[in-house]
Amino acid sequence: MAAVMQHASAYLERFSSSQAGRDWEPKWLRERRELAMERFLRMGVPTPRDEEYKYTDLRSLSDGRFLLSPDEPGGHARPAHLAGQRIAAACGDSLAVAGPAPPGIRLMSLSEALVRGEPWLEDRLASVASFERHALCALNTALFEDGIVIVAEAGADSTEPLHLEFGPGRVARLARVLVIAERSSRVTVVETYSGLGEYWRNAVTEIHVSENARVDHVRAQLESPRSFHTGVVQAAQERDSRMSSFSLSFGARVARNDIGTRLDGTGCDCSLDGLYAVRGHQLVDHHTGIDHAMPHCHSHQLYKGVLDGNARGVFNGKIFVRRDAQKTDAVQSNKNLLLSDSAEVNTKPQLEIDANDVRCTHGATIGQLDADAAFYLRSRGIGEAEARKLLTYAFATDALDRVGVASLRERFEALLLDRFAPEAA
Amino acid sequence: MLRISNLHASVDGKRILRGIDLDVEAGTVHAVMGPNGSGKSTLAAVLAGRDGYSVDAGSVTFRGQDLLDMDPEIRAREGLFLAFQYPVEIPGVSMMYFLREAVNSIRRYRGLAELAAGDFIRLARQKIQPLGIDPGMLKRAVNEGFSGGEKKRCEVFQMSVLEPCLGILDETDSGLDIDALKVVSEGVNGLRGPDRAFVVITHYQRLLRYIVPDYVHVLANGRIARSGDRTLALDLERHGYRWIEERSTALAAAGT
Repeated sequence: MAAVMQHASAYLERFSSSQAGRDWEPKWLRERRELAMERFLRMGVPTPRDEEYKYTDLRSLSDGRFLLSPDEPGGHARPAHLAGQRIAAACGDSLAVAGPAPPGIRLMSLSEALVRGEPWLEDRLASVASFERHALCALNTALFEDGIVIVAEAGADSTEPLHLEFGPGRVARLARVLVIAERSSRVTVVETYSGLGEYWRNAVTEIHVSENARVDHVRAQLESPRSFHTGVVQAAQERDSRMSSFSLSFGARVARNDIGTRLDGTGCDCSLDGLYAVRGHQLVDHHTGIDHAMPHCHSHQLYKGVLDGNARGVFNGKIFVRRDAQKTDAVQSNKNLLLSDSAEVNTKPQLEIDANDVRCTHGATIGQLDADAAFYLRSRGIGEAEARKLLTYAFATDALDRVGVASLRERFEALLLDRFAPEAA
Repeated sequence: MLRISNLHASVDGKRILRGIDLDVEAGTVHAVMGPNGSGKSTLAAVLAGRDGYSVDAGSVTFRGQDLLDMDPEIRAREGLFLAFQYPVEIPGVSMMYFLREAVNSIRRYRGLAELAAGDFIRLARQKIQPLGIDPGMLKRAVNEGFSGGEKKRCEVFQMSVLEPCLGILDETDSGLDIDALKVVSEGVNGLRGPDRAFVVITHYQRLLRYIVPDYVHVLANGRIARSGDRTLALDLERHGYRWIEERSTALAAAGT
């Protein structure tokens, strides 16, 4: 393998030692990993010269030390339990899957599924989340040590959220999740990410939504303020399927999320929504991608951001409408609230439409707190800090309403209010 | 209760108030009338502490304290209430949450225990009923999508919940039909008492048939051009604002 990138040695070393210990893995996966490693070394860690990373500087990640280094010592402050049943946790060098699974849902670690030789894995793993053109997805594919697999069997209907918790440690740094919703099933998955100190987590989630199935996916990024978080969520949807994604991004020094779905059948519905709230010198970047490949599909996106201090936000929303995707209905909206004069947002819709009978709308706003509204609240006795908090909450509330799980929405509301509480501001 | 002395105020360098003197005793209702541009709403805004108005001279004391030195929320907690001419819509904040937060901010300031959710709902229901407002409004976002009349009623509803000692009504009657005007007036009259005072700012004499003032002041060119009892309002109705304005222009010319 010809290494073309600088600083390749640490990655190569980890890759070789890992591959050596993985002789039990099926040949197809070992080959896929080889290919992924090759792709990663060719592309390298993205730099701002890459248009897709114009505002998000990941250069300090290039030598891999934040990804491959051991954790900083100290107790890990786990986030308060968010919602639903905690079914899996990755912490340290291991991954624990705890039962019992709800009826019709199968849970297992990826290594367990591989050892069992589950026949469907080859088609599903590292297939939707393409590593061909995505360096960080390639890196995860080459190096992930274990992961979590959720299979909703045909007809299973589970609304109780399944909670996957990713903390510190080797396994969780390269978190890998595979969700398969079989025909006419329904499953809700919540992923949380949190850690301690300075580190880089590079996570990948793949979601297969079969015909007439529904997946609700929530991702809560509550990483340490000194960390780097890069994550990919990629779904593929068959006909008449529904998928929702909610990305909450409050943590990390630099966070980059790539969230996308491919609508491969007619009559699909998807919503990609999110809320980011950052302050200090944090940067949060969301790149979404919806690929309308087939007719009569509907997509909805609402991303809202609250930025304080010197924080920066990036939103890039791609919508592809292929030639056959007539009667596509796509709505995209990104709204930002700047609480300080030095916060900054770069927002860009990117629509590529090759069909002629479609409805696509997009809009982006960047604004400040409404001074008239603040005065109105204060004129009733509500303090300035409280008024600001109330208006910030009010700004975010329609995004939070997109979180289907009520208990989770309440937790997120509380996290948001804490974040912009007077003492924290 | 409220003492305004020689108050001068400007907006963006433009002088609007040019020496207002007004004493409001507890238990009284003062009507402040005047043509458009006479400074009525500026007076209300300065008293409530809105940004963008600079006080160039004069003083205002409220219950013995310097009002102009207080933040808007402190004025409210001390017992001042402004019913807005144009109440602000606040999407995403429910009327219930907003008003309970207001009540409890004021109670905390006064060293009283906060009202629990259940107690607050009982209080709100009790106060909303006489104003003919659908209690479902409490669940809606503050003023969002309310009609003009609903907004004005809602201002009076808020006032009746917060029980201020000084209520300033900034053209609360404008744009109301007679039925709504009666309801709003009854709401205000119900709050009248020996410990409470009102400054009712209005463009139209009609309101004063329902809220009968103890004193009437006519504002023109940023000054109180005339003061009297309620018969002054009737004179105005007959002669229009013109005769007051002409007088005050002459006065201003002579004074400067």
